[in-house]
Amino acid sequence: MRLTIQIALAILVCCTLSCDSMREVSIYEPSKSISAFEQFPHKTLFTGSEENGIWGVKNNSCKEVSFEKTNNFNGKDHLHIKWDDSKCSYIALGLKWSNFKGKNLKPIIKSAAIELRIRVDSGVLSNVPMFFVLVDYGGNQCRANINYLNLEGGRIDTKWRRIRIPFQAFNYEKNGVNMGNIKELRIEFQRKGDVHIDNIVIVPHEHNYKKTKEIFTKVFDSHPIQLGSGKEYWWGINTKYSSSLQFGRSFKNESVVIELDKSKKAPWNTFGFSPYQWMRVDISSIHTTSALTFKLKSTELPKLQTILFAYTGKKRKLEKILNESHYVDKGNGLYQAYLPLKSLIGYSEFEWDALKEIRFKILEGNKVEIGDFQLIEFRGNPKKPTEWKGI
Amino acid sequence: MERNINLFICLLFGVLQTLTVYSQVSKVEVTTNALGNFELQRNGMPYYIKGAGAKDHFDLLVKSGANSIRIWSTNNNALLDSAHHHGLTVTLGLHVRPERSGMDYNDEYAVKGQIEYLKNEVLKYKDHPALLIWGIGNEVDLRYSNFKVWETIEILAKFIKEVDPNHPTMTVTAGIDPSKAFYIKKYCPSIDILGLNVYGSIENAGANLRKFNWDKPYIVSEWGVNGPFEANTTSWKAKIEPPNGIKADQRQRRYLELIAKDKERCLGSYCFLWGQKQESTATWHGMFLSNGNPTEAVDVMQYCWTGKWPQSRAPSIINISLDNIGWRKDHVLAPSAQANLSIELQKYNNKEVIVEYVLFPEAFSNKIGGDIQKSPDPIEFKIVNQSDTELTFISPKKKGAYRLFAYLKNDKGQSSVANIPLLVE
Repeated sequence: MRLTIQIALAILVCCTLSCDSMREVSIYEPSKSISAFEQFPHKTLFTGSEENGIWGVKNNSCKEVSFEKTNNFNGKDHLHIKWDDSKCSYIALGLKWSNFKGKNLKPIIKSAAIELRIRVDSGVLSNVPMFFVLVDYGGNQCRANINYLNLEGGRIDTKWRRIRIPFQAFNYEKNGVNMGNIKELRIEFQRKGDVHIDNIVIVPHEHNYKKTKEIFTKVFDSHPIQLGSGKEYWWGINTKYSSSLQFGRSFKNESVVIELDKSKKAPWNTFGFSPYQWMRVDISSIHTTSALTFKLKSTELPKLQTILFAYTGKKRKLEKILNESHYVDKGNGLYQAYLPLKSLIGYSEFEWDALKEIRFKILEGNKVEIGDFQLIEFRGNPKKPTEWKGI
Repeated sequence: MERNINLFICLLFGVLQTLTVYSQVSKVEVTTNALGNFELQRNGMPYYIKGAGAKDHFDLLVKSGANSIRIWSTNNNALLDSAHHHGLTVTLGLHVRPERSGMDYNDEYAVKGQIEYLKNEVLKYKDHPALLIWGIGNEVDLRYSNFKVWETIEILAKFIKEVDPNHPTMTVTAGIDPSKAFYIKKYCPSIDILGLNVYGSIENAGANLRKFNWDKPYIVSEWGVNGPFEANTTSWKAKIEPPNGIKADQRQRRYLELIAKDKERCLGSYCFLWGQKQESTATWHGMFLSNGNPTEAVDVMQYCWTGKWPQSRAPSIINISLDNIGWRKDHVLAPSAQANLSIELQKYNNKEVIVEYVLFPEAFSNKIGGDIQKSPDPIEFKIVNQSDTELTFISPKKKGAYRLFAYLKNDKGQSSVANIPLLVE
């Protein structure tokens, strides 16, 4: 009984004291915020050989790595590497970075950078051929190099200079690197060099630069498409050197008057234009149902070669010599030409999302005007270009 | 007191020397002459560029009649000093990273960093007395898709116009086509000169520029023999390299009939390469061998630049064949089989010549645009018999692609070379 009373008293005293130390709190009071950077536990990559693991320090004919104890930026020693890649295809060091623990960089990716100190024994450099590579646990890698904007003083010399590599500078999106599970940081070296490195750490860093997604492609997905609008996008017409080809006026849009000087050894008989302002023209969604068409004014049909060029791809050139089957006689010396794209040999290997140029070569004939180039819908037999009822 | 006087004299001398160097900065400009042709003028005098892409052998370059070198980046300022010491001017490259090297021209950070770095390089070198022309970018158009690179070229060219009125600006393209001419003309108005790296395409380069409406002058910034990227290949994709004698003739014709004849727009040229490099083979573009010996291409350039052949000419290999099959064809041997390589020579004024045969593994490479390639090491092979023009040998035991080289030299080390790719299977 006496023991029970004692226990009850003890509990009462405890409760009383506890209540005394309590304070009133609002249920909406925010907890003290800790930034993602502060929470990130793996901020040190290298401060000295004893503290942090590095692989790839074994010397060979291409690199000489040592840990020097004098003139450190901090710690007991620093890294000194000399390299020459003339006999090796790959020279690198790897920082085990918290002993290869999977590191989640996602929370700090926009607010932090890798920082290191660098110096040389003599002279001044404005760049060093070394690259920083983040490797994830899937083996995917993304790279960044030293940027002048984050090189202290814009130079590497005998002083310890600060370099920062913002995480945003790594091409992780393009290379599909999982920034939530990074294994290690590698430093790759190219060509030849000799540098001292110390104090590789993660620091807060604001990176105020944009990455745009500009592509120089004009997409067309419906007909008709007017081609080659604007004389500045044409070539082959330069009256200073030849009057064989000149801009004409007979048609609504750009046209060329051809009057070849056949006395010349190398006749000026070729012209071309960009379908759209020398951009990559993407007609990949409509190319199978498209035909090139243009107007022609002449007393007799010339022999014309049409050539299409792409900016990229294994097959960059398609060509066709037009014959009578490509023309419809409209009377009074006027013709309309039709060239279904499907009739071009090799059209399926051509990159129709990167059309670059349409070119014409006059093989035979003279005194012709051609123009008003368009891409129109064509769903007929490619071998019978003028017989589709839709044109 | 005496020490102070000495110190003062040293300082005065230093200041005077700096002023002297500064006053040596050349005024270079693009003008038109009385005939209406474009002309480069240096310190008020017409200056036709007889140049080479070169990093060494400057003594021989000067002796051969050249007056200028082209270098591709600012990473070796000793070259500028050395060129100046030899009386050579320099077209100095600002290395604008091409897209194919991983540069993203949509990445503002990378773009601004590069621009600021290169602006600093301009300030560093703009008063160098050897500087002739700024070469802003080299082949940035090769396999590119982001045309924003021309913005960078223009920003740099415009900056140069602001800080260095003494030196014209040039950008260098890999060949020329109407789209490149359009983009440079429209987006890079501060570019004074177009530099053309043209190998096979040199044949029509001048005419094409006119057709593509390029209305400023040009320099043939790299030219030589047809490049590996234009060469025929064997069935196992090894590039077929013509013998040096054939390549030398091609150089001579191209200089005399194409470059030197375009007086209206061409301000001169830089032959490629006054030195040696690995590009598919160790001998394709280089006018020297890896041991430093000059080849007959050096003699050709002296003839082109001065109109005179050197007194001592390099011997020349004009043909090479394997088992009586010419160098343009495929050559397939069985392992450990005996085969016969023969060469045809032009000895010129050499009484004695020495021939050496070396076997290499084939150096397949996907690199383009002069990107750095590694040289393979030679392989030992069994020679049965050897004369000045014939080699009987045993093919390697191991199957694979190889290349057999014949090196020819005179007693002065002037050399020639030819090779045949061969497949052992």
